Formats: sequence, structure tokens, C-alpha cells
Amino acid sequence: MGNEGTAKRSFIQWYKNKWHNDPLFSIFVALIVMVILQTLVLGFDYDSFDGWFESWTSNWINILRNNAGIGIVALGMTFVIMTGGIDLAVGATLVATGAFAMMLIDIGERGLLGLMGVTGVPAIALALVLVLLFGYLLGALIGITITKGMVPPFIATLGAMMIYRSVTQQTMQGYNPQVPTEFLQISGFQIGDLMIMPIIYWLIIAAILYYVSKRTIFGRQIIAVGSNERAARLSGINVDRVKLHVYALMGLLVSIAAIIQVSRVGAMDVSGAGRGMEMDAIAAAVVGGTSMMGGRGFILGTVYGMLIIGVLNNLLNLFGAPPLLSDAFKGFIVIVAILLQRKGKIT
Amino acid sequence: MKIEMTNIKKSFGNNEVLKSISLTINGGEIYALLGENGAGKSTLMNILGGIHQADEGAIMIDGETAQLHNPVQSQEAGIAFIHQELNLINDLPVYENMFLGREPKTKRGSLDLEKMLHETEEMFKKMNIQLDPRKMVGDLDSSYKQTIEICRAMMTNASVIIMDEPTTSLTDSEIERVFEMMKTLKSHNVGLIFISHKLQEVKRICDRYAVLRDGVLVSEGSVPDVTTDDLARFMVGHDVRTEPLAKERNLGKEVLRVEELTHHPFFRNINFSVKQGEVVGVTGLLGDGRSELFQSIFGADDISSGKIYIDGEEVKNNSTIKAINKGIAYLPRNRKENAIIQDMDILENSSIATWPKFSKAGIINNEWHLKKFEDLKKTLRIKMQDPTDSILSLSGGNQQKVVLAKWLATDPKILILDNPTQGVDVGAKEDIYDIILKLADENIAVIVLSSEASEIIRVCDRSLVMYQGVIQGELIGKEMSDHSIMNLATGGELAEERSEK
Repeated sequence: MGNEGTAKRSFIQWYKNKWHNDPLFSIFVALIVMVILQTLVLGFDYDSFDGWFESWTSNWINILRNNAGIGIVALGMTFVIMTGGIDLAVGATLVATGAFAMMLIDIGERGLLGLMGVTGVPAIALALVLVLLFGYLLGALIGITITKGMVPPFIATLGAMMIYRSVTQQTMQGYNPQVPTEFLQISGFQIGDLMIMPIIYWLIIAAILYYVSKRTIFGRQIIAVGSNERAARLSGINVDRVKLHVYALMGLLVSIAAIIQVSRVGAMDVSGAGRGMEMDAIAAAVVGGTSMMGGRGFILGTVYGMLIIGVLNNLLNLFGAPPLLSDAFKGFIVIVAILLQRKGKIT
Repeated sequence: MKIEMTNIKKSFGNNEVLKSISLTINGGEIYALLGENGAGKSTLMNILGGIHQADEGAIMIDGETAQLHNPVQSQEAGIAFIHQELNLINDLPVYENMFLGREPKTKRGSLDLEKMLHETEEMFKKMNIQLDPRKMVGDLDSSYKQTIEICRAMMTNASVIIMDEPTTSLTDSEIERVFEMMKTLKSHNVGLIFISHKLQEVKRICDRYAVLRDGVLVSEGSVPDVTTDDLARFMVGHDVRTEPLAKERNLGKEVLRVEELTHHPFFRNINFSVKQGEVVGVTGLLGDGRSELFQSIFGADDISSGKIYIDGEEVKNNSTIKAINKGIAYLPRNRKENAIIQDMDILENSSIATWPKFSKAGIINNEWHLKKFEDLKKTLRIKMQDPTDSILSLSGGNQQKVVLAKWLATDPKILILDNPTQGVDVGAKEDIYDIILKLADENIAVIVLSSEASEIIRVCDRSLVMYQGVIQGELIGKEMSDHSIMNLATGGELAEERSEK
């Protein structure tokens, strides 16, 4: 009897300590709560356990696949915010790199690689390399503007956002590239009978960036630069180089998201695609515990944050909530997440 | 007004910070509250300021029990708290700053600027301050900012003012100005609680003192009855050395030489050289350019012209990375702004400069850094729990030692220390002096930048005194004294100094 009481109390104590000392814990708990809620709403109205399980998993695969692209962008955004910056240009970079990809692999008359005589699988492989390079370059241009030009990140990326999208729209005007079916395999390839390639890309990138943030010089220098730029500089860190690489990496990740999107749908609407993507990516990072002031951020937290937003959208669908209100719920979740973390902050 | 604090106890979690403290502070006296970092001074004052509440004990003001549950109640009771970090808005003029948070309004609801200006002028007249209230606060030097804070406290009709280390960021002449002000307040029968590490100042200006150590009141009394050595002993709990530490040493070859180094408008035509195993002091008053000079030598700042030689080889296109690779280490002043990365733990703060040097394929070699840090921790006598604790969990002295550890890990040939004992308590200060001398014995050239002449005299073999961007003179060994340093630092000539002797 007495022992039980102690055990219960020590669990509460453990939970409280965890809540206060581990910033990711409150986010994780929130995610679990939402998953339970989602499971309940999905219901148990099935003939067999297998039937229920199948429906539950397919729902989950949908959530993950729908959020994989933006989830990848949010990972890059986490690094950007950790340096104390912001990137508003991700949506525009997405259409720029997506359009570039389509122009390269187009099997119509105007396809760039086709014109050069490269076709089939080699064309796709070459296109992938060029698109990633292009994304890296677009990001690096932003990085150079910020570091060498000393333009604040908000302004530099606001400008880039307008330039990248408008130039893309002009270039793609009246042009409908045809994406070869082989290209669609990048997202569409099935493992067993599951279409989960985008999810696998997301997880691999998350795992790599997690390692980068924890164990590599680059990852730790990001924290140093965001936390105290002066001290970082006076400790021999090349602050400009770190920032340049962070924005270039962001561009690279966006180009991966663009490839996923083009290969899922086979096309991209250059005026509409990626609009609001920057805000969703920032929201995921912030829900995941990243501080807008820089210095503090968690790759794992951003994955949680993305999942919370994904599950929320799914829940709203299941509830049949008015679609126009979905942003309101998202906004609400972002604010609640911050309030939860504020409580969990060490004083 | 008379404040009596009786049997005040306060704990944070399991940490008992104040163990039954009783103090009495009278109006019209300057009361020194002394103790090392972590002794409980701040907690005690925060209780008086209404920021924390005592677990046990009572506070009586003029014989009546006072309820100080929040800063507003404390202010209403006549207690003003001037924090170490000043709460002024640089982009507002002086007179508006005087009324922050309690601005008078006109009938129509707009700010009554005229009234503010007028009352500020009155106050300045009363306090005998020559300052135009229309000036922007950002344009003023630190002592005037301190003065404004004090006047603001006076305007709330405070009868007791708590001053938390008001002189740490001030130069000597600015300190004089604040002291004048304190004397005026005293004559107006205001009680002052003066928290400071500078015992000379306590000796000069305070009437009574109290010393806290580990949350216990270890000594209390009248200042004229004790010496600064006594006070230091009370604070640390054992005798504190005061003897000079510099000694004859065999110097090696020249490691650093600069020729005609200039960076407008900070410094110009700087020439000097430093040998292995030498401890060279560089001192001067505010605006002497010494920090800027050594930041340039470290590659953190540009130069307009001139040459830097390390080991006889000229360094071109200097950068911090290049300087570190050439064996220069630079511990900057203002630890919090320039050296501490708050979002990182102790180990990371101690290893950030050596990440690139000891890594493979960009992956940090944590084992190596941990081993290195354990060594340095012992050498530097860093008091801490776990290397993965936040850097902010350490006291100022220990934070400084961690920053020092970071630079020692780079195996420097030339170690530049800019105000190394800033915000560091007596014990840690002596530790740092010991380390400086030990490093010199190991043939490292150590350059100590300091505004405290006494520090330079005790530790350095010779010193360069700067005045408005030039080296005004060099003092070797016995030539260094408070007087000779001050003479050069204020623009006096070395020749006069020598002919006087």
C-alpha cells in the first residue's frame, strides 16, 4: 500500500522533472495525445483487428506522405532559424527548382536534356543532380546576399521569394512539359504494395540532419552562431561561412521537396505551388521547440512538430471541419505549443 | 528610515541560500554588503526588493512589519533597487527616462513633457549634477547612466537605495562622480546598500559593512575598524595574498612584434614586441584603444596600416582562424557578450575553438575534448558538477575559467587576456593570477589588458600604458606604480615621471 503510493509519487516526480528539463518531452506528449485522439475518432468499427489495423496504417501513411515534402523543408528551416535567420523564399524556390526539373526531363519538343540528346534513365539521373545543384545555388545566392551584402535575412528572402517565383512564372508561361513515367517512380515506386518512398526520403534526411546537428562541427557551429554571434566569431568560427552553408542547404532540401512533388503529381502549378510553405515550415519548427531568437532548436522536435500539424489536418478531415477553418486550427496549435513550452522552460 | 531584517531564511529547492540572516540598515549611512559570488547577497537583496519572498524571518521598516510581496510594494515602502544591468532606454532623452513607467499626463491624456523636464532639472539641481536633461541616454557614458538611475530612484522618494556593483563598468573618474552622488544622498539622510567586490572602494566610502559567506553572516561592523585584507579574509574564509607575484624569469625569443600598427580612429603607430615567457600588461583609461588594438592583432578587426609579425614572420590577411592557427589566443572582455554561448553546455563552451583542430571529416571528437577538459578543469580549479550542465549554472569566476580553458586547449604561444578578472570573485581572481604565472613559466607569452593598475603591478613584468590610441609609455618592473601608470594613462610624459624620481 505504502509502496504503491511512493511509486505513484515518484512517477509524478519523474514526469514533472522530465517536463521541466526536457524541452522535447512536452511536444512528444502532445503528439501522443493527438495520436490517441485520432485513433479514437477513426473508431474501432471493423470486423477484425486486421481490418482496423490496415485502415489505421493506411491513414497514417497518407499523413506521412502528404507531409514528407514540407517536412523536409521544415528540417532546413530549423537550421536557418537556429542561426537567428528566416527563409521566406522556400515556396518560390520550390517552384523554381520544380519548374527547372520539368524543363530538363520534358519528353516534348522543348525538353532541355532531350534537345541535348540525353534520354531515358541517364536523363533522369542527370536531371536530379542538376536540380539539386540548382537548389543549392539558389539558396547560396540568398546566403551571399545575407552575409556579404549584410542584408537582413527577412528582407533578403522576401526579395528572393518575389524574384524566384516571378521569373519562374514568366519562363513557364504557356509551356506544359510532359514528365516521363520513369520519373514518377521516384515517388511512386512501391515497396510491397506500399507507396512510401517520400516517407523514406524524409526519414533518411531527418536522420542525417539529426546527426549533423548533434555531432558535427557544422551542426554545433550553427548553435554557436545563433546563440551569440560575437562570441562565435571571437572563438574563431567563420560566421559567414556557416550562414552561407545553412541557406545553401535550405535550397538543396527545397529542391528535394520539389522533386518529390513533381514526381508525385507529374506536374507543378508554378503560380500556386509552395504558397504558404514557408509559414508551414516555420510553424513546424516552432511547434518543435525551435526558438525564433536563434541558438535553440531540435531536428527531432521539428519532426514531431510536422507530425502534430499533419495529424491535426487529418483530424479536421475526419471531423469534417470546414476546410476554410483549417488554418485557424493550425494557428491555434502553434500558439498552444509555445505556451506549453513556456511552462516547461527552466527558470 | 531604518530597515531591520531578522532571521531571514531562503531555499531554492534543496539549496539553502540564506541561513538565518539578521541585518540592520540605517538611514544616512552607506552600508557595504560583501561576499563572493554565490554567497547569498543577491538573494538577500532580491528579498528586500520584493522580487523573492523569504521562507522565514521578518522585515521591519521603522519598527513596523513590512509586507514585500512584489517589487511595487517594495518601491512603495521606499526601497529602490538599482540593478547591475541598468534599465534605461537609450533612444529616449534623459528626462523621459526619469519617468519610465510613471509618466505624468496632461489633461488631454498626452505625455506632460514639460513637467518631466522641469522636475528632472529640479532634481539635478538638488543633487548638484551638471547634465542637460534633453540629451539622449544613448549618448551618455556609463557613469551618467548610473547617475540617472540614482536620480530616478530619488524621484520615487526612496529612502533606501540598493546599488548592485555600480562601479564595475566605470572608469576611475566616473567612479568619483558616482561617489560624489552617494555622499550627497547620504547627506539627505538616504540609506545606501552598496554591493561590490572592490574592497578599496568599500574602505573609502562605506560606513558599515556585512560579509556573507555561504548564506551565513560571518562578520559585521564598522568599516574604519577593519582593513581591506580583513574584509577579503572574511569573504574567502582564509588569508588572501596581496604580495606582488611577478618575478625574474628567463625570457625566450621574440614571438610577437608589431610595427607602426594603425586602425583609425582607434589606435595608431603602435610598436612593441613580446618574448616567450613574458607577462606584459597593457593598461589605460576608457578610449585608450587597447581592446581594439589586440582584437586587430587577433584578426577580429581590420588594420589600416602597419605590420604584425609572429615568430618573425609577417602575418598578412589576418583572420581569427589564422591567428588561432598561428598560436594566438584572445580572451575577450565582457564575458557575457563576447565569450559565453548560453545555449551550450560547459564542455562545448570549453571546446568550441578546437573543434576543427581535433575532428575527422567534420565530426567532433567528443572523447578527446572531454579528456582535455578534465585535465584543464584540474589545472584551473573549476568548481562544477557535470560537463554537460549549462554554462549558466556556473558562477562568474568559473565561467571565466571555462573560457580560459577553451583557449588553453588551443595550445597558444601568445595568450591575450582582456580584463580577465572582470566580474570574478577574490578566490577565482587569485587562481587566474596563478595560472597566468604558470603559463609564463611554460614559456607562453602572456599579455594582460586591464583597467586595474593594481592588477598590472602585481602580475606583470612590464606594462605598456596607452592614452587615446597611442602607447604613451612603457614601465618596467619597479617603475610600475599607481601613480606612474595614472600619469601616463592621462597623457603625462614618461620623462617627467623619471625626472621626478
